[in-house]
Amino acid sequence: MDIIYFLTIFAASIAGLVWGILGSSLPGLSASIVMALLLPFTYTLPPMPAIVMLACCYIGAEYGGSIPAILIRTPGTNSAAATVIDGYEMNRQGRANEALGISLWSGVLGGLCGLAMLVMFTEPLARLALLFRPTTYFGLGILGLSVIASLSGKSLLKGATAAVLGLMIATIGTDPISGVSRFTFGSPDLLEGITPLFVMVGLFAVTELMTRTGVPSASIKPGASIRVRLPRWPMMKKISRAQGIGCTVGSLEGLMPGAGGSVAAFIAYNEARRWSKEPEKFGKGSEEGVAAPEAANNAVASTALIPLLSFGIPGSNSAAVLLGGLLIHGLLPGPRLFETNSDVVTGIYIGSFIADISQIVIGTLILPVCIWLVNRPRPYLAAFIYALIVSGTYTVHQSSFDVGIVMTAGLLGYFMRYFGFPFLPAVLGVILGGLIESNYRRSLVLSGGDFGIFFEDPIAIAFFAIAALIVVGALVNEARAAMRARAAWSA
Amino acid sequence: MRKLRNFLSALALTALAAGPAVAAAAAPPPANVPVPYPHRVVTLVTHSSPGAGSDVFLRELVRYLQKYIKTTFIVENDEGGSGAKALSRVAGARPDGSMMYAATPTYILTSLLSKPAKTYRDLQPVVNFFTDSEVIYTRTDGPYKTLKDLIDRARASRGRWGAANPASLERQAAEQLRIAAKVNAAVVSHDGGGDLMINVLNGTLDMGVGEIEEIRAQLEAGKVRLLAVFNSQRIPGHPNVPTVKELGYNVVMEKFRGIAGPKGLPPEILKIWDDAALKILNDPEYKQRYLAVSLMANHIPHDKYGAFVEKFAADTSSLLKASGVIK
Repeated sequence: MDIIYFLTIFAASIAGLVWGILGSSLPGLSASIVMALLLPFTYTLPPMPAIVMLACCYIGAEYGGSIPAILIRTPGTNSAAATVIDGYEMNRQGRANEALGISLWSGVLGGLCGLAMLVMFTEPLARLALLFRPTTYFGLGILGLSVIASLSGKSLLKGATAAVLGLMIATIGTDPISGVSRFTFGSPDLLEGITPLFVMVGLFAVTELMTRTGVPSASIKPGASIRVRLPRWPMMKKISRAQGIGCTVGSLEGLMPGAGGSVAAFIAYNEARRWSKEPEKFGKGSEEGVAAPEAANNAVASTALIPLLSFGIPGSNSAAVLLGGLLIHGLLPGPRLFETNSDVVTGIYIGSFIADISQIVIGTLILPVCIWLVNRPRPYLAAFIYALIVSGTYTVHQSSFDVGIVMTAGLLGYFMRYFGFPFLPAVLGVILGGLIESNYRRSLVLSGGDFGIFFEDPIAIAFFAIAALIVVGALVNEARAAMRARAAWSA
Repeated sequence: MRKLRNFLSALALTALAAGPAVAAAAAPPPANVPVPYPHRVVTLVTHSSPGAGSDVFLRELVRYLQKYIKTTFIVENDEGGSGAKALSRVAGARPDGSMMYAATPTYILTSLLSKPAKTYRDLQPVVNFFTDSEVIYTRTDGPYKTLKDLIDRARASRGRWGAANPASLERQAAEQLRIAAKVNAAVVSHDGGGDLMINVLNGTLDMGVGEIEEIRAQLEAGKVRLLAVFNSQRIPGHPNVPTVKELGYNVVMEKFRGIAGPKGLPPEILKIWDDAALKILNDPEYKQRYLAVSLMANHIPHDKYGAFVEKFAADTSSLLKASGVIK
């Protein structure tokens, strides 16, 4: 191979990766925004390195989102929301360095797994992607919602209430089918709805800051060592099942345009818990609970390129930015891209491989700094995180309205926490609300109001069945726990 | 200082306007000498994100515009609020030609659908460059070969038609076609062009309506077939695809692309843009590029552009009311 060609790929890939990791570790900047910020800098580059840089930025961003998720309870990207659960818990137990190591290792494995799927099975997977209809997406949304049953914590009722709140937030904005403006009060800022990431940043980070301000700092445990601990062999073995689940779910989800990494991460988290040997540890700092979602969202970053490269159909917002990059450089993604611009396609493969591998190196270089930062005295840290959140949110659209949304969500979260309502169902509601509503109504418009359409789609039926299993399983567990409690009481 | 500079450039402009008349008699006009412009830097604002429709339009345009207007153009993306932010920024700018806006139907739609601080009426349309090609497409291995097949199917039983977004011109066009053909078709709106394309390719939908640029990859790969165009005339590169109008349904959609600016622009600025637009549309190199993406040159100078935009807004408003999107 031409050495110059290789060096170009190498440089582009590292540059994209570093920017992706750094950018997405700022709260409020989603993977797609980080890529959009990079896009103008690629205008002057030749097509191949430009595209490689963007693709690797995507990889870095999907990984980088987990850093603030673990360290400051703020998902850097949508798809890191599931990582917050056990990652931040591990951090609170003084095991941040371990959690970051697991997330890094799982991210690398997930990325490599997704890449292998992309390189070997583009053809068959592209055909699979074509099978997804509005009914399929509705089924996927319901499957995602069913995860709430196991994310609710102590009370299923409070969990369901929080989920409904999230679904209500998701109805704000332009109606996905009729185009009528809903709950916008004439404000153009609300036309596009409320960005799920802002709600997450508010609920998780701002709430955490407000709560922590009320806790005396003496009661806080000393922070973790700043040396990142990559998993050793026993740990690798322990989390391998969760990673396998993450890789599978992520690789398949990447194919579903519109679903994106966040749904994949939550489903992977839930499945990892169901198949885990110690499901009771989930939510209390389980290593598997970090491994599964991180493997999933990194796998998505590669397989989301399949519908993009083969049909020109972006599988996620981030893939849409990559599509923009391709178009600006006069490359037309689609069946013919593999023949006409095979150098770009090969470049993406090689670049992604380099990026996945270098993540380990760059991660171990960046992470100690991040851990050191969050080990600073609490008052400084709180002020710093506030500044980071406000500036990060503001950067997205230079809009103080968005900052207002984050702060409102934070206030809401404070009261939710006070009254014991879990956040995750609300977050899932915001993420899935649009997906479920629009595909449900779209299906019914297609069928002329006939509900039979949902049962003509075998993939959707499979999703419904799994969702039913999850919900029934959770109910049975809850009933059993109640019965056991009663038995213990009477004994 | 600014005044002095404006005065000098105005002077230069007059000289320039008189110049060619003299020069034309003496020698053939020199190949494009860039017209001087009163500002060294001109900011072109778009509401679209980097890589999306208007952004690509502006960046391509700027590359060739610099041959005809002597200044440095900067493209800035002012996203958010469905265009309302870009709108109010440009509407509040000094009307001296140093800041302009990439006008598309979006800025009218946002003005009609919500109550932004500034509406399309707060901007002055300067000059129009293009009309996008809006097409009806279906999957190649599907049962429909012509628009008639499609309409017949919708008449016999029930059609399944798709458009990218609920509040889009494409949806309005599909609804209008349904009414004009007096057929029974569900017009299903989607979360964007990609979502729509999947459902056309897998046969969930009989057809989709979209910009030709969005479907180019599938078109070139032979996966989709064009049935008709909504433009007022046949589009470049596809002379065999009929217009909807010539097939007997009186539905025409002109999705425009042009430049607007703050109200009260001086006439000499307007003239520079009018002339530059005309020249750039005839630039052989640029022409090749825009014809390749099926953009139709549609030069509307500033004195007619205002009325065009006003009529477009009135038409869109009544369509949105008819389909119940706004009251």
